[in-house]
Amino acid sequence: MGIDVFLEYELLGVSHPGRYLGTEVNARNKPFSEASVRWALIYPDVYEIGMSNLGLSILYEIINDTTEAMADRAYLPWVDMQERLLECGVPLFGLESRRPLASFDILGITLQHELTYTNVVRILDLAGIPLLARERDEVCPLVIGGGPGAFNPEPIAELFDFLVLGDGEEAVLEITDAVRNWKQEKTLDRSDFLRQCASIPGIYVPSLYKFAYRADGTIDSITAEAGAPNPVKKRLLSDLDGWLYPRRPVVPLIEAVHDRVSVELFRGCTRGCRFCQAGMIYRPVRERDGRLLANWARELVANTGCDELSLTSLNSADYTSILSLSEELAMEMESRHVAVSVPSLRTDSFSVQLASRLRRVKQTGLTLAPEAGSARMRASINKGVSEEDLMRAVAAAYGEGWRKLKLYFMIGLPSEGEEDVEEIWRVVRRIMREGDSGAPAKGLKLSVSISTFVPKPHTPLQWAAQMTPPEIARRHFILKEGLRMKGVTLRWHSREMSYLEGIISRGDRRLLPAVISASRQGCLDGWGEFFSWRRWEEALATEGLNPAWYAERERPFDEILPWDHLHCGVERDYLWEEYRKAGEGESTPDCRIRDCTFCGACPGKGASA
Amino acid sequence: MKRALIKYAKRGEAALLSHRETMRSLERALRRSGLPLVFTSGYNPRPRMSFSPALPLGIQAEAEYLEVSFDGETDLEAAMQVMNSALPKGLSIIDIQELTASMPKLSKWTRYGLYRVPGDVGEVFLLLALAGGKQARLKDALASLWQRLGLPIGSELRGISRVGLYASDEEVFEDAGDSVYFFDGELGELEVLTNSV
Repeated sequence: MGIDVFLEYELLGVSHPGRYLGTEVNARNKPFSEASVRWALIYPDVYEIGMSNLGLSILYEIINDTTEAMADRAYLPWVDMQERLLECGVPLFGLESRRPLASFDILGITLQHELTYTNVVRILDLAGIPLLARERDEVCPLVIGGGPGAFNPEPIAELFDFLVLGDGEEAVLEITDAVRNWKQEKTLDRSDFLRQCASIPGIYVPSLYKFAYRADGTIDSITAEAGAPNPVKKRLLSDLDGWLYPRRPVVPLIEAVHDRVSVELFRGCTRGCRFCQAGMIYRPVRERDGRLLANWARELVANTGCDELSLTSLNSADYTSILSLSEELAMEMESRHVAVSVPSLRTDSFSVQLASRLRRVKQTGLTLAPEAGSARMRASINKGVSEEDLMRAVAAAYGEGWRKLKLYFMIGLPSEGEEDVEEIWRVVRRIMREGDSGAPAKGLKLSVSISTFVPKPHTPLQWAAQMTPPEIARRHFILKEGLRMKGVTLRWHSREMSYLEGIISRGDRRLLPAVISASRQGCLDGWGEFFSWRRWEEALATEGLNPAWYAERERPFDEILPWDHLHCGVERDYLWEEYRKAGEGESTPDCRIRDCTFCGACPGKGASA
Repeated sequence: MKRALIKYAKRGEAALLSHRETMRSLERALRRSGLPLVFTSGYNPRPRMSFSPALPLGIQAEAEYLEVSFDGETDLEAAMQVMNSALPKGLSIIDIQELTASMPKLSKWTRYGLYRVPGDVGEVFLLLALAGGKQARLKDALASLWQRLGLPIGSELRGISRVGLYASDEEVFEDAGDSVYFFDGELGELEVLTNSV
């Protein structure tokens, strides 16, 4: 059955058919047949999540702006649509061109989260493309990956012909050129072409690297084939001002999870929270020019008709001229009834004042993330926030009229005791008791969100043990008992999901068969109802893999980690020193405020080692 | 404060957008149109808009309506052009006109919907009340129609479009020729109305 006929007959029978139309405002719809290099940019989750991803919308426009290339989009269809595709024998297709994914030159898949890896397998299966890179022949598309997951892609690395580490803006153009030449000249076979790609900065070709293991299961060596870089260094765009993208983002047909346009104020963060992967892999901080940002924001609102503009980054209150920029935009946007929002704020009264000034058009919620309840734990993760900062921020928010606040805490941190968890409910109770500058905060409602610490590659805590689900369950119980009070709601992440995230996050190539078999047995981990820890346990056991060995084991310094051949800029020795300081509760100041900490991320500056 | 009546069509695959999604698309196009919109007050202000009765998913339309409030002088023709360049494929603005104060609200006159249903022996027209005592659901009306025409119940929705909205059942013959099937929601019965003029 042809794809057009399929859509005509089947779309009415599936939920949210708007997900599959590809007829959005600002969809570029470049002719497939005329392009010499055809990209399909893929977010391995449903449309409404994928459409909110900034990275892919940047690359979509950059590629479509080049004359000879085109970029289409694809997402993982919801299960009802997957069933229809399989039943009708129709392969997964690009939304705009309605061509099978298998007919594209490049499938670019973003890896935003470990729990989407089973979705990646499902996408390739639905597209009818051989899963393993080594099984694909000349007519198969190149399957490439990017995003934060590319910094430890090993559990699914062999699905990819190559991955791009770091900023993708320039890399996609170089890849486009390389592929065009390869297709025209037809002199290199696929494996030689991949060898050639390995010389493009930031490109990691998994097939050129071999892992050897020891009897105890640890890695003995990671060897790169001659000519392949070791380590692979990430791509770094030092000047973002030349790359103001997206300009005309595709406007989702159905409501997206983040239903707004965004300008990215800066990339990177140097606050140095020791659990945070984004805070390490996107270093150094690169700010954009305020004038350019303001004009860009106007253009985005005009080009989409969106009613919310987000000034985004990892920590927007840290943008040098955040006050003047946000003030200017908020005033101007107020007349057009466009709300301006600043996500990811710090826990201090400055941030609250900032959020309050922007709250002209729409009543938005306020989220504070102290991350840990006890001063000891906050010192350990280098979250430079005191309990008094938090109390002041709450009082400021209350004073500005907020009555509903969201608080984020993380549990399961290394060396955390039950008394540290009890501190969370003590702080929450204190807020309820004296949230209004010392007086009980009347009418205040707190939504307390608890996440579980998952050690992530390229962070100071990458060596740490992850807490077991039963231990986390006991902590959830402590919180539940301690927070039985009016006005407080408590929610937490699934323990098993966090555990699986931890296994995959620090996993190696031996996990791949389990990922494939879990996916083929119906696990789509990010989709709550299709997550099954029981199936995962079986899949891991079948492959002889011990989940605890991956998640619960503290690694020694000299153990080779599965991502030691991939370099994000921040030096391993620096991370280890930070790990030691975490144990001691020593702080590391932000290098944008104090001196350089020699983490290694800035080109031309040294590292501590 | 002035009012404008916008007439739009929803053709082809745009029929697969829900009422809510259609409203969102139109709102965004309106925001881009340069029309000096009047907004509601409250925590989350929205343009003051009202829509003709929701169209079931899968049904196309030739003449749906949207009423908006605006302030000041404006070029409605130009606004319509901008809107048409800013809508998903299949949605298009056909007409925009200013309403005088005495003209009734949208909800007062969109009481009947006329549907064109394609079939093997040519198209037939189906009328139903969208408000009031005889109000009916399209699904029930179609089931009844298919039974009358000897088609299996649940025959496909593809190709059906709502061609007009009316204040009374007498106005429909302008668009529907001399006879239409009328499904009476109160009695649950299908009857044939013929043009008596």
